[in-house]
Amino acid sequence: MESASTVSTMSRRAKLRGPAARIALVAGLGALVAGCAQDAPQDTWDPAGPNAEMINDLDWIVFPIAGIVGLIVLTFVAIIVVKFRDRGQAIPEQTHGKPALEIGLTILPALILIGIAIPTVGTIMALNETDDTECIVNVTGQQWWWEVDYAQQDGCGGIPEPIVTSGQMVIPVGTPVLVRGTSRDVIHSWWIPRLNGKRDMVPGRVHTLRLEADEPGIYAGQCTEFCGLSHANMRMEVVALEPDDFEAWKAQQLAPYQAPAAGTLAATGEGTYVAQCARCHQVNGLEDADGAPVIARPDLQVYSGAAPNLSYFMTRNTFAGASWDLLTDECRADVWEAPPEEFGERYLEGVTADCLNSVDLREWLRNAPAKKPMYADAEKLEVTDGLVRGMPNLALSEDQIDELIAYLLERK
Amino acid sequence: MSDTTTEPPLTPEPDAAAPAAPDEAIPAGFDDGQDHIGLVHHTATGLSNTKLAMWLFLGSECLLFGGLISTYMLYRNRQGDALGPDQLWDIPFTSATSFVLLMSSLTMVLSVSAAKRKDERGTRLWLTVTALLGGLFLAGQVYEFTVFYREGLGYTTSLFSSSFYTLTGFHGVHVAVGIIMLLALVGMLAKGRIVGDKAETVEMVGLYWHFVDVVWIVIFTLVYLVPA
Amino acid sequence: MAIIERPSDTPALAGTSGVVTPSSSYGYFRRPVESTGWKSWAFTVDHKKIGIMYGVSAMVFFFIGGFEALLIRLQLAQPDGTILSADKYNQMFTMHATTMVFLFVMPMAAAFANYMMPLQIGARDVAFPRLNALSFWTFIFGGIFINTSWFLGGAADGGWFMYAPNSSVPFSPTNGVDFWTLGLLMTGVASQVGAVNLIVTALNMRAPGMTLMRMPIFTWMALVVQFLLLFAIPIITVALFLLLFQRNFDATFFNVAEGADPLLWQHLFWLFGHPEVYILVLPSFGIISEVLPTFSRKPLFGYPFVVFSGAAIGLVGFGVWAHHMFAAGLGPISVAVFSVATMAIAVPTGVKIINWTLTMWGGKLWFSTAMLFAVGLIVQFTVGGLSGVTHAVAPSDTQQTDTYYIVAHFHYVIFGGAVLGLFAGIYYWWPKVFGKMLNETWGRWNFWLMIIGMNLTFGPMHIIGLQGQPRRMYVWTENRAGEGFFNLGFWNLVSTIGSFILGVGALLFLVNIWVSRKNPPAPADPWDARSLEWITQNPPKEHNFDRTPTIHALDEFFHRKYEDVGEDGQHDYKQVRTGEQVIAEEEANADAHIHLPSPSYWPIILSFGMLVVCYGVIYSFLLLAVGAAICILALFGWALEPPTADDSEFDPPSDGGQPSKELAHV
Repeated sequence: MESASTVSTMSRRAKLRGPAARIALVAGLGALVAGCAQDAPQDTWDPAGPNAEMINDLDWIVFPIAGIVGLIVLTFVAIIVVKFRDRGQAIPEQTHGKPALEIGLTILPALILIGIAIPTVGTIMALNETDDTECIVNVTGQQWWWEVDYAQQDGCGGIPEPIVTSGQMVIPVGTPVLVRGTSRDVIHSWWIPRLNGKRDMVPGRVHTLRLEADEPGIYAGQCTEFCGLSHANMRMEVVALEPDDFEAWKAQQLAPYQAPAAGTLAATGEGTYVAQCARCHQVNGLEDADGAPVIARPDLQVYSGAAPNLSYFMTRNTFAGASWDLLTDECRADVWEAPPEEFGERYLEGVTADCLNSVDLREWLRNAPAKKPMYADAEKLEVTDGLVRGMPNLALSEDQIDELIAYLLERK
Repeated sequence: MSDTTTEPPLTPEPDAAAPAAPDEAIPAGFDDGQDHIGLVHHTATGLSNTKLAMWLFLGSECLLFGGLISTYMLYRNRQGDALGPDQLWDIPFTSATSFVLLMSSLTMVLSVSAAKRKDERGTRLWLTVTALLGGLFLAGQVYEFTVFYREGLGYTTSLFSSSFYTLTGFHGVHVAVGIIMLLALVGMLAKGRIVGDKAETVEMVGLYWHFVDVVWIVIFTLVYLVPA
Repeated sequence: MAIIERPSDTPALAGTSGVVTPSSSYGYFRRPVESTGWKSWAFTVDHKKIGIMYGVSAMVFFFIGGFEALLIRLQLAQPDGTILSADKYNQMFTMHATTMVFLFVMPMAAAFANYMMPLQIGARDVAFPRLNALSFWTFIFGGIFINTSWFLGGAADGGWFMYAPNSSVPFSPTNGVDFWTLGLLMTGVASQVGAVNLIVTALNMRAPGMTLMRMPIFTWMALVVQFLLLFAIPIITVALFLLLFQRNFDATFFNVAEGADPLLWQHLFWLFGHPEVYILVLPSFGIISEVLPTFSRKPLFGYPFVVFSGAAIGLVGFGVWAHHMFAAGLGPISVAVFSVATMAIAVPTGVKIINWTLTMWGGKLWFSTAMLFAVGLIVQFTVGGLSGVTHAVAPSDTQQTDTYYIVAHFHYVIFGGAVLGLFAGIYYWWPKVFGKMLNETWGRWNFWLMIIGMNLTFGPMHIIGLQGQPRRMYVWTENRAGEGFFNLGFWNLVSTIGSFILGVGALLFLVNIWVSRKNPPAPADPWDARSLEWITQNPPKEHNFDRTPTIHALDEFFHRKYEDVGEDGQHDYKQVRTGEQVIAEEEANADAHIHLPSPSYWPIILSFGMLVVCYGVIYSFLLLAVGAAICILALFGWALEPPTADDSEFDPPSDGGQPSKELAHV
């Protein structure tokens, strides 16, 4: 036994440090956990609507139980490593087991889990209830942006004509909304953490999700199913407005087309837009020089078949898959951090020339694939028959960009 | 390699003369210094290593075909406007080829029986017949698929067609491998190159062949007989 | 005392029907018989050499995968990182996971199963030694094949579970996914074949007296794992073939426009994928179930419970796959069923934790490095297991899935569970396998830096995930990171720092190997161990046991050393023999006839043929045909070659006597 005892002498010094250090480590970990981000926009423990609240209520049952069980186990282990370390005692009793104890300690966790299972099944069923929804909003995921559209319906205070937008879904406060979603290409996932859990958006299938916001505000989300190159740049927001603000928003989205005043930079921009952008990006009511309506045909250019509708571009405040802000930092703070009673007003202002974040928008227009990784390199499009996934580099000049920005600023 | 130590034992050796209670787990005659492990009679399960291995392998093959059959069952109705089972199947013909395969299992049994009787010629004869019947089945499959192809059912025509050809294709490959094994066995038996128990080797190939046949029965039922 | 083998043409054993005269295959190639040098490794069928090769390869892949992880963490240390492009990042996280799961943890567990299982059951080798070699060479060629994709147009970039339709050609145009698919088909063959081999070994080749309930616990867990592999690998094989045919032959299995259901891939993958995670962790459970009793000086508490809970985990593991799909649109009934089933599987896992802690209770704890890792597993796996319970609650999971909270969970169970257990096994069995001790001081540094590193890396991920950071994002932004000092940016940075500490800790393991290489030979029984594999030399002779042992109890070695001399129901264990004496006793009563299988070319040639086929599928039909031809040639060569070489194929001994084979020094 000589070798064994030599080794054990060597480690005796370390032994006292060992278990004590382990206890300190675990305690430290616990302390660290207490430090969290404040106002994280996608915080799952900061629910802002009944669905997310139901989930969070369940979390408040399960997480503490798990935490307590964990503490018990870790404490038990800590006690053992101190109490039973080798102090030269005799060979211990060669216990092979105590079946009664084992069975008891098997039944106990089983009972705890049954205790967790019951509210879990209840919540699953409750979350599946979508009969009380009053308004339907369609969502379509596509590499790498979200299209949001409202079909003609009586809900949401009545929507007389379809509304198509992208990146930001606007809903009335306190109204349960049924999100019906699918995808045009790969599997994406719609997740607005403060309002509900996520739901995968699968091509060929339609999945539903109930969303309801308690208060006005802007609720951030991200695509949460890996969908390729720019999965990280596929974001969205849900904007909740008081009912009258929502009516105002609807009116904005259904306003007739306003051509820019003649002779302005925006008027030149309109022409540039027709030449460069209108192939893919629809602007409702836009007419070309001959007075013919300009209908975008993204299905001829884009593999997944669609591009964001820019009719009311500046009524929303993010772009390019909600990856960048249209607002400068200051203006953004005004909107995003507005108290609920002022939020609607600020949001409805949209993006003004003073508040425009032209840096990101210009970079985007200058060379979109350089800013956001996409498949738009003409040489590499053989597998998609020459169609792009994402927006190509249009090689616009700085003048053209000036014109387009002037034109786009009026899309409200 | 360590040398034996020359330290004296810590306590006196236990009394070697005191008889220990017999351990029922130890088969009689096992402490005789002979290397017994792995032989047919001395395996704990009673099955030889090769036979147990074949059963395990066939167990895993159930999962393989299970996955392929599930895929087919999911996609069997997804042919859009293209051809579907109703327009394609020639049940009498496929029944005939299935019968041929079924008979090949019978001849396989005859071969195994001959091997157990140490009837070498009979073993090789029935193995060859089995291989021939298997080949006839495969020929029938090839003919059938050529007809389907000419009628417009290509591999990529529809989900139904892809799943169908993949499922039956995997099965066909298994049959082909089986035929090669049968013929190789005939050759090796003739040249006396089988190591170990010949009857068992034949039986093991037989197990594989029967499995391939049973899978076909399942495929024939689900794919051809059950209406879409 | 050297033991000369007798050739197998002496039918000394009753029952073998038919005496065969084996000879070289085809008469052209002399069968390899070298016992030293690189050929003795390339053509070996010795389970111990194969185990070592598995272990070394797995370690290399561990560091490759670790390097990939460090690059990922460097990219995520700051917002809008630019260390890796989006494309490279997507390849990096795909390959990190693929490498760690398929090329590190599984082969390292295979290393232990290969090396230890025959020793633990008193066998001389596995049931099918050449098949064992095939498993290894197929694995290593498959692993190399997947990694050559880095240089051949880009690695796979669809995530390690490669969801369809993102994995199809329009969305993944490079060959990366094909490399991934074919490489995993190869490693799948390796695992499948190995599973059949090891199950037959454990069921059929146990030493006399070793009933199933006297089998060492590591062998039990390894046996359950082999059954899991046997039934799970064919399912992913189907999925991989469907993907391969879609990408290469225009099949439409996952093409939505043609009517396909993308969820088919998910179901097939996770039917494999969930048993896979138990495949990853059960071997480590088995390892620490050996280590804890040895260093507590008491038997495993509740051995039958540990055995049955292991089997239960394996069985129920096939029934919970859809808990990876709670957000995928399954419908509330399915979700509820799988949610409850997933909670059920926590019960047998909890049983093990209880049994391990009760093993230590009342013991005489010796904190060697192996023991530190084993206790570390209990602590860290508990954390990971409890976060797993929170995922089982399906509504909560719809918030947690695809976020860093999941990443935290599986790293705690895989790293804190599987990997810590593997390191425990390495430190525990190193003297057995290599005949030297690893340095204990370096071992402590190795352990503590890994523990601190892993907790700093993966601990914050719980916070990051619950506060909204999804996974598989090549960048994160300030806008979503929240306010305050402890915002998501802070925790991302801490996680990156932790990962580098972890990396250093892992490197210390290599330092330990280097520093210990000149250590004196290890004692025969350094840990006063309990199970059968220790009744051999360090390292074991090629034939493992001089005499096939007869087993009278679980923990056979312990019972040969210690006897209970207590009276009136009191227990008092006295040592009656040292380990060396037990081993010497076996040596003195060596078997007269020892038969070992002979080396062979065919396994490595067949594996090579498969490798050529794989390259052929991607590049050229001609290459495919050549590879297929090599495979067929190898299969026939193998079938015609007897398991043991003829006497005439050995070099004659220098004393001019009959040709015979001296024992190799491993």
